[in-house]
Amino acid sequence: MTKATLRTWTATLLCATAASGAACKSRKSKPGDGVAAEPPATPISALEVRAVTADLTAPDAAAAYWKNVPRGLVTLMAQPMVTPRPETTTTEQITVAAVHNATHIAFRLSWKDDERSEAGRLGEFSDAVAIQFPMRELARTPVMMGAPELPVHIFHWRAQYQRDKEQGKPTMLTLYPNMSVDMYPMEFKEAAGGTVEQQEGFSPGRAEGNPQAYQKSGIDEIIAEGFSTSAVQAGHSGSAHGVWANGTWTLVLTRPLAIDGGSVIAVGSETGVAFAVWQGGKAEVGSRKSVMMSWLPTRVL
Amino acid sequence: MSKVKNWHLGREIEYPYDDHRPKRQWAIVFDLNKCIACQTCTLACKTTWTSGKGQEYMFWNNVETKPWGGYPLAWDLRILEKLGRQDWGAKGEYLGKTLIEAAPPNERVLHFFPTDEDWMYPNVGEDDCAGGTVDGGMHLDALPHDRWFFYLPRTCAHCTYPACLAACPRKAIYKREEDGIVLIDQARCKGYGECVRACPYKKSMYNPYTRISEKCIGCYPAVEQGIQPQCVVNCIGKIRVMGFISPPGQSRRDNPVDYLVHEKGLALPYYPQLGLEPNIYYIPPIHADRDYLKQMFGPRVEDAIKAYRELPDDPRAQGLLCLIGSTDRIIHKFDVKQGTAFGYDEQGAELVRVPVTETVIERAAFDSKLGAARHNTP
Ligand code: SF4
Ligand code: SF4
Ligand code: SF4
Repeated sequence: MTKATLRTWTATLLCATAASGAACKSRKSKPGDGVAAEPPATPISALEVRAVTADLTAPDAAAAYWKNVPRGLVTLMAQPMVTPRPETTTTEQITVAAVHNATHIAFRLSWKDDERSEAGRLGEFSDAVAIQFPMRELARTPVMMGAPELPVHIFHWRAQYQRDKEQGKPTMLTLYPNMSVDMYPMEFKEAAGGTVEQQEGFSPGRAEGNPQAYQKSGIDEIIAEGFSTSAVQAGHSGSAHGVWANGTWTLVLTRPLAIDGGSVIAVGSETGVAFAVWQGGKAEVGSRKSVMMSWLPTRVL
Repeated sequence: MSKVKNWHLGREIEYPYDDHRPKRQWAIVFDLNKCIACQTCTLACKTTWTSGKGQEYMFWNNVETKPWGGYPLAWDLRILEKLGRQDWGAKGEYLGKTLIEAAPPNERVLHFFPTDEDWMYPNVGEDDCAGGTVDGGMHLDALPHDRWFFYLPRTCAHCTYPACLAACPRKAIYKREEDGIVLIDQARCKGYGECVRACPYKKSMYNPYTRISEKCIGCYPAVEQGIQPQCVVNCIGKIRVMGFISPPGQSRRDNPVDYLVHEKGLALPYYPQLGLEPNIYYIPPIHADRDYLKQMFGPRVEDAIKAYRELPDDPRAQGLLCLIGSTDRIIHKFDVKQGTAFGYDEQGAELVRVPVTETVIERAAFDSKLGAARHNTP
């Protein structure tokens, strides 16, 4: 390969991306965006989940039942237990409300984030939130990702996964609109009658069946027994929808009260929840996050 | 933090995991005096491993022109700048801090995080001596220092103490027991990019299509069959040899890599001060600026250049350099006898033999038998 050829080759592949600007970075919000105005919230040390008569199978941040539900403020801090961790706390508070209807439980969360980030290109990360439930004894389960024999059940929503659900998994061209590529051998395989498996062989993450490499349906359901152990579960029992407007994310996550092989919440019982928030625009991902230092006691009325 | 032995630095260093050297360690030696930046290695790797979606920008093997070039841009300057001035002692021991030792309390490794744009100019600075158009002349004349440059081919160094592995909070990166090759588990990685941040050599790369990270795999499927990596066997300049390096105390005189690194001190690790014990070794380019070379290869650079200059008096080393690039197989042992260099596989079977000095054959310019004139092409 001569230098000239290589240059042209890389130029076509790469330099085009520079001109495309911040296609997938942050976006300005449209005012309103379907979220009801927020009633004031006060700091809480426990959460009450009131019963409502409504369909809770789909997330709905604007539903009327939220108007009568108390909203509590919960304090978060930079994840302090394992490195790498944020230098300072990026998300200091999250506002929480919750309702149930005897089969489902829904959480309405909101937190400040100046910049909407959905990730996509190199070095970009997504805004995200996680709600965690204990799977066994609450009192013994560590709030930081559980422990061996004391698993936790996590619903992890990412703006990136929501975009996947709504618009499909971005192609390279959506991420880098001005890029051009001479050819992908995998596509020649298709033209020549190659199988999907043969094509996926060119994409190690997909060949290995890594869920990151496939279209997401909004949230990941994860079971963990301590740091570095989280494993994404197949299938989905919960669903979530987030809206970013005026520097605030508002998100509703709903899930069945009882999930086979996951966490089970009984009406009339006391359990606990915990939240974590990531600001993609501040390069937060993985263990770089804001978390709660203890479970939020939760009474399901 | 554990204390582990880093022989590049002549001292113990801090590392998050215990010392555990693999059974043997993959290594490549490059003779930088011979690299011509043809990029054949780059494309050999590219066409073999990274022709898929999300890999468009990836060069697990790249060749950059020093001192200006860098892929991603200025990777070395930026990490050196972050680390700040550090010193070596008189006996070649490192007195400074490694990237793990210098990490702030909230990080595992001192690092910089390249942006998207930083990866877009893999060939910046290559042969960039002209001042724009041809009539612009040589802009090198305007530089306030001597004219020198060299080509630096780079792969992942399959470090003994990888920063990528140390930084991964999901423990998705592992170092193979059988050959020391460092791999990212493509089923377990979640694309946090901690390895992309932490690897100072920037050899861990994010794939925006699969949304997880990837890196040079040391061509392990070939290595498992006793074959050298693609970027090595396709090297036009025959400047590279892949083999297994022993720790210094266990060096074998008949192991090509041990011989070049330990026995002759000809080949040196690059930026050893970063503390990862990288396993790609370079015979330094003897005409480049010495201070620059010292910064890149450490205090033993003068000795390595001296050893290189003495090669004409060393038939064994000459023979070994002739073996480089003469076989696709991994040479586990070599020998030089009566003007011939021999390469052997692990079982001791002969792989290749080459003359240390090629026979010169003189033939008449005109071949009367064929009725044709000969051209002076080999
Ligand atoms: S060179 Fe970088 S990617 Fe390769 S093993 Fe070392 S730290 Fe990891
Ligand atoms: S060893 Fe193999 S995977 Fe690594 S750079 Fe060379 S050709 Fe590419
Ligand atoms: S193929 Fe060999 S000579 Fe050519 S650029 Fe690569 S290392 Fe240098």
